[in-house]
Amino acid sequence: MTISIWRYSHLTLAISSAIFILIAAITGIILAFEPISNQIKPYNYIDLETVSIAETITVLQNEYDEIVSLSIDENSFVKASVITKDGKSASFYINPKTGEKIGELIPKKTIFEFATNLHRSLFLKSTGRFLVGFFSFFLFLIAITGVILIAKRQGGFSKVFTKIIKEEVNQYYHIVFGRWFLIPIIIITLTGVCLSLEKFSLLPKDYSKHKTLNTKTTTQKLKTTDFEIFKNIKLNQVEKIEFPFSTDEEDFFFVKLVNKEIAVHQFTGQIISEKKQTLVNLLSNYSLFLHTGRGSIFWSLVLLLSCFAILFFIISGFSMTLKRRKKTDTLNNIIMKDEAEFIILIGSETGSTFKYANAIYKALIEQKKKVFIDELDNYTSYKKATNLLIFTATYGDGDAPANANLFLKKLKEHQPINNINFSVVGFGSTNYPEFCKFAILVQANLQIHENFTPILPLFKVNNQSFVDFEKWFTQLKNLYKFDIYIDESQIFNSKEKTIIKVIEKSDLNIDDTFLLKLKLKKNIKFNSGDLISITPKNEKTPRLYSIAKVDKHILLSIKKHKFGVCSTFLQQLSKENNFEATIQENKNFHFPKKAKEVILIANGTGIGPFLGMIAKNKKTKISLFWGGRTKESLKIYKPHIDKALKKGSLNSFETAFSRESDSKIYVQNVLKKYNHFISEFLKNGNTILICGSLAMQKDVELVLQEISEELLETSLEEFKQKNQIKTDCY
Amino acid sequence: MKLKEIIKIIPFFILTGFLLFSFTESATKSPYKCMIQMKNYSGEGAYIVISLLNPEGKYEETLYVQGDDDEWYFDITEWWAFQGKKRADIDAITGATISGGERKISVIQIPDNKIDKGYKIRFESAVEDQDYHKDDVEFELTSTNVKSKIEGKGFIRYIRMMPQ
Repeated sequence: MTISIWRYSHLTLAISSAIFILIAAITGIILAFEPISNQIKPYNYIDLETVSIAETITVLQNEYDEIVSLSIDENSFVKASVITKDGKSASFYINPKTGEKIGELIPKKTIFEFATNLHRSLFLKSTGRFLVGFFSFFLFLIAITGVILIAKRQGGFSKVFTKIIKEEVNQYYHIVFGRWFLIPIIIITLTGVCLSLEKFSLLPKDYSKHKTLNTKTTTQKLKTTDFEIFKNIKLNQVEKIEFPFSTDEEDFFFVKLVNKEIAVHQFTGQIISEKKQTLVNLLSNYSLFLHTGRGSIFWSLVLLLSCFAILFFIISGFSMTLKRRKKTDTLNNIIMKDEAEFIILIGSETGSTFKYANAIYKALIEQKKKVFIDELDNYTSYKKATNLLIFTATYGDGDAPANANLFLKKLKEHQPINNINFSVVGFGSTNYPEFCKFAILVQANLQIHENFTPILPLFKVNNQSFVDFEKWFTQLKNLYKFDIYIDESQIFNSKEKTIIKVIEKSDLNIDDTFLLKLKLKKNIKFNSGDLISITPKNEKTPRLYSIAKVDKHILLSIKKHKFGVCSTFLQQLSKENNFEATIQENKNFHFPKKAKEVILIANGTGIGPFLGMIAKNKKTKISLFWGGRTKESLKIYKPHIDKALKKGSLNSFETAFSRESDSKIYVQNVLKKYNHFISEFLKNGNTILICGSLAMQKDVELVLQEISEELLETSLEEFKQKNQIKTDCY
Repeated sequence: MKLKEIIKIIPFFILTGFLLFSFTESATKSPYKCMIQMKNYSGEGAYIVISLLNPEGKYEETLYVQGDDDEWYFDITEWWAFQGKKRADIDAITGATISGGERKISVIQIPDNKIDKGYKIRFESAVEDQDYHKDDVEFELTSTNVKSKIEGKGFIRYIRMMPQ
């Protein structure tokens, strides 16, 4: 419940202020260049620490009739206002050592003038200033709610800066940049508010007055350049000196220093009065500096990047919202809720769970079942419902996703009319410690409810894996004796079937295996480890094969089964033949990026995707373990392996043959011999990929379990949770 | 014409020339140091226009403009009705705006022959989003006034003048 408040605030604040923040960010980007362009002007080559006030006055008095004022700006440029010998007033930058004029005052460029006006008042004067200040505060609130959301997602404030799990690009960078720019954005917004308050005179007034100091009355007249105080104070301490207007005794030198203001008698050089810098002054000075970056190229660049980050937040934030919206909109019921026998309810954070739910919905509708689909939060009573299928994700550390906050509460409120059979499918990522926790909670709540009966145990789908989902689906199908299939083109983005051309086919090897080299007609992105889904003619159920990407082509390693429809179909293809298929991304089984070391374990045709990974490898040290029946089984892969070993893209290759000698050796037996190597390997956080038969996977995992327990005193489960074990077995 | 006569006429020409010149000289101007001390108001920098008014109270000439963004000149309503039409070149007598609490010293040129002749000097002031003061400071252009200190009614605390 609490999350939804933060999320709701975050989104509402963002939507209501987006236009203003957009304008402020764009103009902010332009304005960040102003202090930079000023700072790079060459007017500050003298170190002000080495020049005293008296020195500068001496040189100026030689040049000009009268000095009106002297000021030093945030860029350490010294500006003099003088009356020239021909009686004209003039202001310019000087070299404080020589009194020479070194440049005209920098006029504000029209573009900066325009941007400043738009930035602080939208050309709407007071109203605009108020709006800008107001939405600056909104942006501050957005930043705060954002941090709370990150904290919730990562599982606590202490974990705000822990590793983020990458699910969706927009979301991932929204969080990454959110953390980087949190502090600058808070500073920008608060100083922005401060500056607005100041302009509306809402900051506490500065009532401090000059305090008159008791000075000994000396009548001794001194030359200005002989004043002790002017000799002692260096220019780096000075902000401004105002010279006396006339020779009247009442007219003083007003000297504004970094930390105080003093009035100096124009003849004796004594300090008449002084005023200390107040807190309000300090606050408004710092606000101005922090908000505009004036005088500091570094801070200007920070501000510049923050503005870009804000633009990114607006764009990525809206794209996430739209995506979620779009997916929610895809629920098109054709049957009323009280007519339906099957109820499908969805709990989704980013909207991706909808794809799966919709696929099941369509499959059931095609079977002429009466189905009603909705979000978990809309749970109510359903008159004729006898079956409930729940698909739900989990938010962060085990909380309900965005549209499922109310479900558990509503479950208590609405008593079902019939007894209902249910099944829960949890979607999540094993990268999170609380994998599918909300789904577990839903399952538990239904299980203890007297009107609900579980028909299947809780199923967990990792990283949107279609393979995981299919396992659940197959069980459901068998249970209900349905003759239905899922059209996975609905689930995966590469909806379209593509035409694929055979460019090479190897002869059938000794144990009925062969390699097929295919070319995509369309330019579709894919990687080794992705899946190709092929539906043979007159068949409804597609078959999935793991892809190897070699020289931009697809390489498939296939075993022809005697009665296998698909493998027979593929075997009968010849060069230049075309057929249709879809490519499915399978992120779970991609080669780990930037890994130093990887172990690949396969048996039989499971070596397929690994051939692609090895071919592409440049820097990773790969150890490949492969099990086959006989040495002859290796024949079709050998050219690839030899080439890789020679090139160095494959570091070591270990084989196990089960029919070569009397003692049957399997790949897991070989692994045992390398137990110390493997334990070190896992301890260092490296990844093992396993591809091949389910039986082999089971045996290999047993060996890995033994190694973990004996040498590392932990269970294999720990490494699985850390995503160090990736499998694609069938 | 004889040369002698011509020589006789020369002084006449010189005299006429001198007289003519001295009439144009009637625009002889003297520099005055002028200090504007602002009140401690908060908000944007003030736009201030110093003008010379003739005895009828009409604008005669713009002496100085504090504030160089002409976008805001129309805020100084009265003066803009004069300058807006005439569009005299004021680039040479324009400086930056003055913020609350600040002082500004500039040199203004006042025609000598307008002193003690019923002419007036007017200081108009305007601050973005705040008030406009048509006669923040206004005084008779007399030889004593150009050496004195005069209190302001709006954003200006006082002004001081002094012959340069």
